Amino acid sequence: MAKKTYDLLFKLLLIGDSGVGKTCVLFRFSDDAFNTTFISTIGIDFKIKTVELQGKKIKLQIWDTAGQERFHTITTSYYRGAMGIMLVYDITNGKSFENISKWLRNIDEHANEDVERMLLGNKCDMDDKRVVPKGKGEQIAREHGIRFFETSAKANINIEKAFLTLAEDILRKTPVKEPNSENVDISSGGGVTGWKSKCC
Amino acid sequence: MEEPPVREEEEGDGEMDEGALGKSPFQLTTEDVYDISYVVGRELMALGSDPRVTQLQFKIVRVLEMLEALVDKGSLAAEELRMERDNLRQEVEGLRRRGPPAQGEVNLGPDKMVVDLTDPNRPRFTLQELRDVLQERNKLKSQLIVVQEELQGYKSGLIAPREGPGGRRRNDTVVTRACNANSDKEEKTIMKKL
Repeated sequence: MAKKTYDLLFKLLLIGDSGVGKTCVLFRFSDDAFNTTFISTIGIDFKIKTVELQGKKIKLQIWDTAGQERFHTITTSYYRGAMGIMLVYDITNGKSFENISKWLRNIDEHANEDVERMLLGNKCDMDDKRVVPKGKGEQIAREHGIRFFETSAKANINIEKAFLTLAEDILRKTPVKEPNSENVDISSGGGVTGWKSKCC
Repeated sequence: MEEPPVREEEEGDGEMDEGALGKSPFQLTTEDVYDISYVVGRELMALGSDPRVTQLQFKIVRVLEMLEALVDKGSLAAEELRMERDNLRQEVEGLRRRGPPAQGEVNLGPDKMVVDLTDPNRPRFTLQELRDVLQERNKLKSQLIVVQEELQGYKSGLIAPREGPGGRRRNDTVVTRACNANSDKEEKTIMKKL
């Protein structure tokens, strides 16, 4: 009797150092807006956005985590149910890039094994302050077999593309159980096959 | 003679000199030595100019000089010790005054921190409390979103009020019921998947 407003629910998670722009990336995607004032996320928050992919209404519940170390015990407990994780760094902050391996380790420790991962180098509009070359982001993404985008929440670059690509990758792996399904693309269901670089 | 003439006039004779000679040797000052030297010198002078007296006088002067050096050194050392004692006393008093917090710091392990109870922004809630509040906030938020979607559905006519389980009752009650039923199910779906 209950009429669902969506066909599938995907749970995504944003992680990365404090101040790299996780909340802004999410805010751009969910509300198509940007705010320059920095308000540190307290623990964990989420936003909902419904998108349509391959004729399916997909409700994305996107969890936004606090990057600050003091919230880690809270945030890591949210890794478990995530189907997709976006790891964000700031191209103007070398430390946030160095910490990628730490965040990847966190994913290994706390998330589901088959979680879809994606690397985002945010703030790519600030090219004059860039300290992380795009090639380095591409390289580390290639090494871990994950997708990579350079994004800008402020200039609205690659934000929607990143979320939709992640959702598509999850959709591809999602077992089809609905009788009305015409999705036959199960061959690539095992995991991420391609690594892709998108221009900023 | 080496005695200072000023002293001679100021202190006169007798009592002060006796005083110096009657003192404990450990309390002698250089002033006392000069007093003694004055008394002895006066008595030697009274003995006249016998060459034996002159000879003895040299030795006495030498002995007095030695005594002066010893007393001088002794009083310097005593003064130094006194200053050091006073410094240490002050230090102890200072440490005693700062006693309790200093002791607290000492007792802290390497991973402990001190909380200023007068700071209105001091940490006072546990991580578990924050976790619970966040969980409740997020649960309510997801329920609100579900309800908002439901409401939108009714407003736009996507969900007809009679689809609710109430059947042919009055519209407003049915709407409420349908809304509840739907949101409950939706909520369960979300919670299950979270």
